[in-house]
Amino acid sequence: MAARRLRGSSWQQVVSLSRRCCFLGGRRENYRCSSSSTALGKTVDNSEVTQEEIVLPRKKTWDKLAVLQTLASTVNRDPTAAHYMFQDDPFLMPRNAANSRLFSLSKESGRNTAKYIIKQFPQYFDKTFAEPNVPCLMPETLTPQIEGVSEEALKERIHLRRVKDSVDLFDQLVQAGTPVSLETTNSLLDLLCFYGDGESTLEKEEEKEDLEEPGVKASEQKAPKRQFQRGSQSSGSRWRENNNAERIFKIMPERNAHSYCTMIRGMVKHGASAKAYDMYIDLLNERHKADVHTFNALITAVPYLKERFVERWELAKVFLNHMAQQEVQPNLLTFNAVLKTLRRCGGVGRSMSLLVIKEMEALDIEPSLATYDHLLFIFYRGVDLCPSGIISEVLDDIQKRSFTPQDPDDANFFATAMQACCDLKDIKLAYQLNKAMEKGDNWKFVDMDRLNAYWSKFFSLLCMMEQIDVVLKWYKEMSPSLFYPTPKNILDLLQALDAANHLEVIPSVWEDMKQLGFNRRQDLLEELLSLMSREQHPDEIQLAFAKCAEDIKAVHEQTGREQTPVEWTASALGHVALLFSRAGRTQDAWNMMEHFQQINRIPTDQVMDEFLNCAKQTNCPDEAIKLVKLAASLGLPSSQRLKSRTEKEFVLSEKQKKTLESIKSDSDSSDSDSDSDSDRD
Amino acid sequence: MWSRVRGWGGTAGGCRRLAGGLLAGPASGWEAAAGVARLEGRTRSKTQKLFSTSSVLSTEKDESTASKDSTTEMASKRQEGTPETPKQKLLDIIGNMKVEVSYRKKLQQLKTRETKKQATNKLEGPDGEGTVLQGTTEEIQRGRPLNPELVEAASAVASSLPLNKKQTESELLAQLRRHEETTDKQKKGGTINIRNVISEMAVKRQSPAQRGVRISNRIFLDLDEDGQKLKPGRLSPRSFDSRRSLKVGGRLNIFTKASPETENALKTVSSPTIWDLEFAKEIAAITAQPPRNGFEEMIQWTKEGILWEFPIDNEAGMEDDAEFHEHIFLEKHLEDFPKQGPIRHFMELVICGLSKNPYLSVKQKIEHIEWFQKYFEEKKEFLQEI
Repeated sequence: MAARRLRGSSWQQVVSLSRRCCFLGGRRENYRCSSSSTALGKTVDNSEVTQEEIVLPRKKTWDKLAVLQTLASTVNRDPTAAHYMFQDDPFLMPRNAANSRLFSLSKESGRNTAKYIIKQFPQYFDKTFAEPNVPCLMPETLTPQIEGVSEEALKERIHLRRVKDSVDLFDQLVQAGTPVSLETTNSLLDLLCFYGDGESTLEKEEEKEDLEEPGVKASEQKAPKRQFQRGSQSSGSRWRENNNAERIFKIMPERNAHSYCTMIRGMVKHGASAKAYDMYIDLLNERHKADVHTFNALITAVPYLKERFVERWELAKVFLNHMAQQEVQPNLLTFNAVLKTLRRCGGVGRSMSLLVIKEMEALDIEPSLATYDHLLFIFYRGVDLCPSGIISEVLDDIQKRSFTPQDPDDANFFATAMQACCDLKDIKLAYQLNKAMEKGDNWKFVDMDRLNAYWSKFFSLLCMMEQIDVVLKWYKEMSPSLFYPTPKNILDLLQALDAANHLEVIPSVWEDMKQLGFNRRQDLLEELLSLMSREQHPDEIQLAFAKCAEDIKAVHEQTGREQTPVEWTASALGHVALLFSRAGRTQDAWNMMEHFQQINRIPTDQVMDEFLNCAKQTNCPDEAIKLVKLAASLGLPSSQRLKSRTEKEFVLSEKQKKTLESIKSDSDSSDSDSDSDSDRD
Repeated sequence: MWSRVRGWGGTAGGCRRLAGGLLAGPASGWEAAAGVARLEGRTRSKTQKLFSTSSVLSTEKDESTASKDSTTEMASKRQEGTPETPKQKLLDIIGNMKVEVSYRKKLQQLKTRETKKQATNKLEGPDGEGTVLQGTTEEIQRGRPLNPELVEAASAVASSLPLNKKQTESELLAQLRRHEETTDKQKKGGTINIRNVISEMAVKRQSPAQRGVRISNRIFLDLDEDGQKLKPGRLSPRSFDSRRSLKVGGRLNIFTKASPETENALKTVSSPTIWDLEFAKEIAAITAQPPRNGFEEMIQWTKEGILWEFPIDNEAGMEDDAEFHEHIFLEKHLEDFPKQGPIRHFMELVICGLSKNPYLSVKQKIEHIEWFQKYFEEKKEFLQEI
């Protein structure tokens, strides 16, 4: 019975559902979106619906991106390819981080140049009207349309962000005695304060995020000077004494809270923190209330206002208390600003930051990535490392959520967190972080520069903590497509290979090094050579090593166009000679031995012994004699031993024996002789 | 040992009664919990089963671990760290129950298990405490005024403590009264903003009277702030740092949560300033990534309006809001014309031509037909003459 009733009702639901859909569709609504749950919820008005006529949907509205999004989701990253943006031009495939940065910047700046030209010379772009018109390809009208001196004209100029024109027009209006409304004056102040009274150059604001210099922020933290932190805060122009903003502010007949607020924000933005504070005091004296953005700006200015950590915190707290008194509800950015200030409050920051987080929680404000970024910075960028409690809690929180950008500092989080994982040497946390980063759209928070930093830290940590198989798997997975290893990464990889006794991989690492353009870095070459020549390996590996050695030799001898050749060091020479000898390439090895003499270096005993072994194996008594000669001419104590070995181990002809004998006799006076010898070769 | 277990059970029972009472109506919850309280002492295994917090029971000897457990579990609801003195513990327990009551009132969710856990976790002090608490919670639950028995019990606790007896006693009672007040308030008017009540309580708990209670927990001391207490140099020991957690500790207590009405009122509708516009741009730039494949590039182009929208269909750019059949099947507009004859023939040719014309809108086509209709209407006489 119950089942039948159920079936009956569900049948009715279906009917009404389809009707509803038709009905909705008839109204040209996107009925795909009217999910069944909403339709089911309205089955109550079943009886009324029955009278309705069934109308076929006229048009089915598709999301214009749906198809493309579906298709895009089917494309995976190709671990062997460079980023998509480089694939236009095979000649401009980046080989390392510097290249990729340069190329992406070039591409972007090319785009910006094109935009600039279109905007600068719109008169040349009037012929090609597309049908339908594509507005984003057409030049915008940036010339003011309204002529004459009027408030309307001023408004238009403000809207077009013509800083200088607006100021001129305002002055003209004031001189003519025309009153300018408070609202318009305020928006003029907004404009002036935002640009710090400099002209709004379009390129500056349209900088793409991957063109940003992360270094700006780093330098900012190092210069907590009070008023004259020139060039330390934002890259924009500085706030000048008595600039137009201040002047207009002074001559305003009436000012409201907005006028004060925008002045404060402008002053903070352009580094005049002390002035901003004074302005805030004025605002209080005038019995106005500041808005939340102004408080946020003031809180970010705190480190520039006070020197001592405790004083800074006290001042920040004063601002927060004022907010509460003025009934201004704080937002996420308020707390992020507090935390940012606490970054520069040393130990006070550590204890207070947790209170701030709790306060956010109490107010139901969800932390953004920037919040966590500040928190991690406070706890893990000090001299003494905190235990991993906080970071693992942070990562747990992050895994549970998906993020939308809310604060400009959000972009720093993943790099900071990876740095912290690295400092803590905690591979588990790093994996957890990486998982969080790859979840959903979180990857978008990491721009190109930070991406490289992020992955190279992660990779170094992997090299340090993981099994070599895992490391190599990661290396293959991410090397050219996600990031370009730094020299430090390669060094780490070599060390990991050494630790795991997997030296046979070195030749392929060398190939990558060449690819990355690291083949001229002394430190890497030394490390590579010493690892290759440390032990005797099976023949095939030795052959591969000898090939690497040949490459390295070529690097040293290369006389490039503008490159100075890499200097040979004694150890590098010895290693290369050793590698040649072990691979049985006597002639190549001898060439290396000769180099010793040319650069006045002395080969080690090991090198000479190995060379002699090689000469013996390949049955080259001549080379052996030459070696003895060389040793004698360099006055090495081992020459005697080498000589006796040569005598014993080689089958020598009479002439060779004689030569060998003669070396001994004129060993101390045969410098010129051996020189001429080597010349003859 | 047994009495100790009973003590725990008692509190847990009391707590459960609190919860159950609010959930399932006073009678049933109360009854069940009373049963639990009566049963609990018999066998240890039973107790464990009942309260499902065997971990605490088994690790009771290891007080430090137990208290650590409790801190992490309680973290979200508690304001202080691990307590030191039994008295502080007691206060904590009461405080927690308060919070639980209000939560329950608001959420009406089944969190009984958690509550029990908290209660049992917290109770590790001397036996006396447990029994007192059993009494007190019962009293509180029934909403009676503090009776002499309770006062006596409180003073008993106070005397068992090494600190100032009078102070302890009065504090205990004050706390109980406050608790009772809250319970009453919430019983009467369910409309009180629960969060405000909680935050109020938090403030009270940090009031000077409470602060007088000696708490050796350094976190609490530290978070008790006032600036002077916080010398950066003093805060460095590792043992202290390791206890830090996002979930433990107090808040700044500067702001109170705005009610939705005030929040709405604060949202002044004004045109965005240049600051807002630029901030929005900056935020959008954070996650602006170059396209990773051809399709993503096409998505970007579509958004910019460069690319023809997908899927490409024959209705794209159809602006006059008419469909193809209205453009093509125009016979229905010929009803007023004669059914046969040369005019009909002529008109059929006209609509045939119109249906192939993509440059006219439907309206224009109809107007065109109507013109002919009018024309033939006017010329009717002449036509009939013919």
